[in-house]
Amino acid sequence: MKRMKSLLMMCFIFIIIFSLAACNSTEKKTAGTKPAGDGGDSKTGIVNIGYTGPLSGAAAFYGERTLNGIKMAADEINGAGGFEVGGKKYKLNIVSLDDKYLPNEAGANAKRLVQENKTPIIFTPHSGGVFALQVFNQQDNFLIGAYTSEPKVSEVGNDLTVRIPPRYDGYLKPFTDYEMKKFGKKIAFLPTSSQYGKDWADQLKKYWEKEGGKVVYNSSIDFAKETDFFTSVTNALKEKPDVLFIGGASEPTAKVAKQARELGFKGGFIVMDQAKFDEMKAVTGSYDLLNGSIGVMPLIDSTNSPAIPDFVKKYNDKYGENPGSEAGLNYIGMYIFVEAMKAAGSVDDAVKIQAHMQDGVSNIADNVRIYQFTKFSGGGFDGELEVAAIEDGKVVPIKVEK
Amino acid sequence: MEILIQQLFNGLTIGSVYALVALGLTLVYGILHIPNFAHGALYMMGGYITLTMMTKFGLHYWIAIFVSIILVGLIGVLMERFVFHPLREAPPIHDKIAAIGILLFLEAFAQFYWGAEYQSMPTPYGQVVQIMGLTFTMQRILIVVAALVVMLLLYLFLKKTFMGATIIAMSQNREGANLVGVNTNKVAMLTFMISGGLAAIASSLSSPINLVFPGMGQLVILKAFVIIILGGMGSIPGAIVGGYILGFSESLGATYISNDYKDIIAFILLVIILTVKPTGLFSKGGQH
Repeated sequence: MKRMKSLLMMCFIFIIIFSLAACNSTEKKTAGTKPAGDGGDSKTGIVNIGYTGPLSGAAAFYGERTLNGIKMAADEINGAGGFEVGGKKYKLNIVSLDDKYLPNEAGANAKRLVQENKTPIIFTPHSGGVFALQVFNQQDNFLIGAYTSEPKVSEVGNDLTVRIPPRYDGYLKPFTDYEMKKFGKKIAFLPTSSQYGKDWADQLKKYWEKEGGKVVYNSSIDFAKETDFFTSVTNALKEKPDVLFIGGASEPTAKVAKQARELGFKGGFIVMDQAKFDEMKAVTGSYDLLNGSIGVMPLIDSTNSPAIPDFVKKYNDKYGENPGSEAGLNYIGMYIFVEAMKAAGSVDDAVKIQAHMQDGVSNIADNVRIYQFTKFSGGGFDGELEVAAIEDGKVVPIKVEK
Repeated sequence: MEILIQQLFNGLTIGSVYALVALGLTLVYGILHIPNFAHGALYMMGGYITLTMMTKFGLHYWIAIFVSIILVGLIGVLMERFVFHPLREAPPIHDKIAAIGILLFLEAFAQFYWGAEYQSMPTPYGQVVQIMGLTFTMQRILIVVAALVVMLLLYLFLKKTFMGATIIAMSQNREGANLVGVNTNKVAMLTFMISGGLAAIASSLSSPINLVFPGMGQLVILKAFVIIILGGMGSIPGAIVGGYILGFSESLGATYISNDYKDIIAFILLVIILTVKPTGLFSKGGQH
């Protein structure tokens, strides 16, 4: 009897677990962008767009934000009746898979997306995933929508990779110039310990030293392993640097900055492009603590495009938070891909679509142009870099000379 | 010299958190011989519940912690009732698999319910205190003091009360305790309750200096396992001493050897201690 009871209990628990798990995955997969009027309408075709990114685990929030941007663009395009290529109407269907931020999972997901869903474009928001996909994307004929500012993804000679954000090496000069002039030549490095963080640090080190500066401390923090950053920050500050290089996900980066101030650091911060000032402010409470920082311009504070306030409002209505560039850049990226498909006259030939990326950049409507991209060159979208500093508790745009 | 003292204090802070987490883990191991991999998830739930109580219900920090201790303790009891109790006759591997299952379930639940993003826990003790060139924040001093108080209370509970004595009895010999009339079911539930409560205290204290997110339990759980192996599985003084050893070795290792290799230093220490004393620092011979 007792055995029966416990068996029943186990069954019950497993049913709950499985049903919850099932809810979860179906929700993720359909991603809420199923075009209306299912299947029956033979005049409207469906283009599946693939996405592989972290949807669970420590970086899930990041994956979700990037996916939200793509989904929002797709919903808008579908809501407007789809788009026309070669006389036929098409609607978008986003198929998203979780890769837990792992390159090997991203590769497996991409194989699956291409085989099961015939996706001409696969978005992935991390450089590791992009490198994994670059191994076979040219044979399997799909485009990579690469949301990473890593310059290397554009330097390996993979023509079917479209880098969406600007390369981070463009930031080295304005960041270095600003901080050196304002604070001094001694810098301590304390970015996130990801590959991306280390590559960033290497590039910055080279440039900083070329400009006559000195790196007095060079280490990193693993945000997924450290409970407390005080130890690392104390060590970085004992060399008495003028400037601190920090970065990674916005929120832990903000904690590092806050703890540096608590430990009496008075200098400036160079903030890696992965972290966003507006998200950091949510942790620090105000910008005062970040005075003397330089980083990328938060999307909501940017005055570079008249389309931004409208986008911020739409995004807020839909997802209940302010959009960052993760959502914004993927949003505009999706639109550019659709325009490129229109110009190419094909929804499945990746080579043709790639050849018309420039048309995509030129043709997108003004009301979605939240970033001022003008050119498609060097495997990515090219536009003005938007750099901002924090001065007297306010975000101040910094002009970047080309 | 200032750096040394500052780093000793930093090590003490982090060691206190480690020790609290390891205590909960070692208690459950001592009684039921289950390596409770889900303990990190309880830690995470503690952080989220305290945060929710503070932000959604506007409770004061201390009251929120209290609610969190009770709720996470109850989650611990439920775990024991619904998962580990039915598995008590099963081979030990089943407990381990079940514990990992609970861990995954709770993490997915937190992401589903609270969202995946980092959240920051406000604290009424954010002030910075400067003493002779050293920097303390009130929150950090609070962590150190509160951990000591909790350890003292736990000690008194285990040594001076009847209920505490039953826990000790059961950890020494389950069948013997049963023979002299100890209600092993009740003791098991009580142990999980205390274990969950300790996890909730640790996360509620440390969250203001870090962040609250679904994966936060993984920050401490691996280290907590290192600590209880180092201190002797199931040993309470072992968990406390082990926690501080790991905290100090991390902060001093990062300062005087290398910041990048501080985790390795902790593991090398583990290897050395286990080579000299293979059962851990405080394990009693022939106990298990």
